[in-house]
Amino acid sequence: MRARIGEYTARATESIRSEPGVRESVTGATLAFDRKRRNAYADIDSDHWRHWAEAVKNHTLTHLDDYLTQAEERLEANGAHVHWAADAAEARDIVTTIADDGLVATAVKGKSMLTEEIDLNPALEAAGIEVLETDLGEYILQLLDEPPSHILGPAIHKSLQQVRDLFADRLGSAPDGDPDTLAQAARRVLRDAFIHAEMGITGGNFLVAETGTVALIENEGNIRLTTSLPRVHVALVGIEKLLPRMTDLAGFLQLTARAATGQPIGCFVSLIQGPASQPGDDGPEEVHVILVDNGRTDVLAHPHAWEALRCLRCGACLNACPVYRQTGGHAYGYVYSGPIGSVLDPGLLGLHEAMPLPFASSLCGACFDACPVRIPIPELLLEWRREAQEQGLTPWKERAALAGLASVATRPGLYRLAGRIGARLGGTGAARALPMLGEWARDRALPRPSRRTFRELWREGIE
Amino acid sequence: MSAARAGSRERILERVARAAAGRERTAHPGNLGTRVAADPVAWFVKVFTSQGGEVVEGEGTLSAGEWLTGFLRGLDNKVTGVAVGADVPAELRPQLPVVAAAHAGAGISVAWAAVAETGSLILPSTGTRAVQLLPPVHIVWVPEGRVFARLEEALWELRDELPSAIGLHSAPSKSADIGQTVVTGVHGPGRCIAVLA
Repeated sequence: MRARIGEYTARATESIRSEPGVRESVTGATLAFDRKRRNAYADIDSDHWRHWAEAVKNHTLTHLDDYLTQAEERLEANGAHVHWAADAAEARDIVTTIADDGLVATAVKGKSMLTEEIDLNPALEAAGIEVLETDLGEYILQLLDEPPSHILGPAIHKSLQQVRDLFADRLGSAPDGDPDTLAQAARRVLRDAFIHAEMGITGGNFLVAETGTVALIENEGNIRLTTSLPRVHVALVGIEKLLPRMTDLAGFLQLTARAATGQPIGCFVSLIQGPASQPGDDGPEEVHVILVDNGRTDVLAHPHAWEALRCLRCGACLNACPVYRQTGGHAYGYVYSGPIGSVLDPGLLGLHEAMPLPFASSLCGACFDACPVRIPIPELLLEWRREAQEQGLTPWKERAALAGLASVATRPGLYRLAGRIGARLGGTGAARALPMLGEWARDRALPRPSRRTFRELWREGIE
Repeated sequence: MSAARAGSRERILERVARAAAGRERTAHPGNLGTRVAADPVAWFVKVFTSQGGEVVEGEGTLSAGEWLTGFLRGLDNKVTGVAVGADVPAELRPQLPVVAAAHAGAGISVAWAAVAETGSLILPSTGTRAVQLLPPVHIVWVPEGRVFARLEEALWELRDELPSAIGLHSAPSKSADIGQTVVTGVHGPGRCIAVLA
């Protein structure tokens, strides 16, 4: 996916000013998700679960080469084909080659952020393959030619009326249809696709090394159908998705669902070891697992950002974030948005490409409290900000203003003088003319400072 | 595998090893160890039904197949044809016409086991996946004594006899992607009914 992160400020401003419906839909959906997540955490010893999950992921990431080779060995023993993709182009090439070899005309897809990241659909379509997204939210967005705006609820920025209008236009459903009727209209189209498609494409929530198991979580049943009915199943799995043991999966399946939607577990979980091989099994003849790097080893090598690779893609940090809530995901300009996007994207794409996302946060810490694997998102945001400052990636006015502030703050006499001037001019609007402060104040009501400085009050004996 | 792809494998593994080289290699913390309730069956019923699943118990005076036939005839959508998983024994099959899964009013399966803490039915791929997924109603026999308290225990026992795929079904198919309103039966079965033998 081509990143458009540099346009973040303009797109966020535009979204808030021109599309108030997006803010309303996203706020309603994310607050509901977050409330369910809080209730689901309250039912368990969530501190213990989150510390455990953090420790399993840290262990895995510090032994990742061993677990990758173990998973490869097990998958091949199970009859699956394993491929390695260093970057997006190679991943696309592998999938289109498999499709070509298998004479694939139609592919059905389960929701996968990784396939969005590597821009898979356009590559398949260019190869003459019809691709149908089967997650209901993704299907809506495919009809609209829009990217997802939330990891979990890709179309949460769309209102019921917008979907009514879309389905009436594209599927011929009633213009006043209720959600049930609309879902049935989509089901009719997609049911036919499931039965006739030659290839099913999915991501992978986890890959268990000791058994070679690709684990997928969902609620609709479309992923189970995608991995069961077509002749060929291709799973694209980020190299950070490994888990050592099958018993680890028990905790992670539950924790992911609790963090994401507040459920004890997803309505459907698929655990896939390989192609159909036993009597009675009507599953795919071929299973391909593509292990994708595409910048993950760069993140792993970073002394701090590697912790973001624990991410389960549950979306809990997006739901908890007061900044994400204002705009939804499109403003962020990349597939991974919200707090996790703001710390992961600089690692995956390079900090220059991901500016100004590390600054798109109030640092309130709600994301860390929600994260099921305790990724220290606020600390990582600060680290990326520090590196951006060091590399000269912040605006020159901001650098000049901070240098000026440092100069004033380290000279007591100058600081006292500046404090007195600030107190006198604070209510006059003169602050809006200053570099950086002026930018910050453009869309805000500035507080009126006290007429007397703290030091003056202190001398008079404040209590 | 092409030469370029073989090169990618080595390059990725080399980069992974290099990235981890200077970092402390931490130990695995062991099993999570979730809580256990006294009665796994009651716990399963509570969790499964809280997510929209339904639970019934077979009648003792009838054979299982006769009971299921009557039960299916009594369902709202008046099932006339069923799809049956390849591993469902003869005594658990209803006396109704068997049709292709895509046209069946109900699919009949046997679970390998159920799990209480997640309210899940564990369905192996040897039970015919289309039967588990395509009909609007899914009826799942749960063999007596096969309700695990915890998912960890079930996966531990399963890991040495894994079929090519496993499905955990813990509720009917649902989605809230349209206007944040929950609808059921989106792609998979809209009713999931566990029958406790």
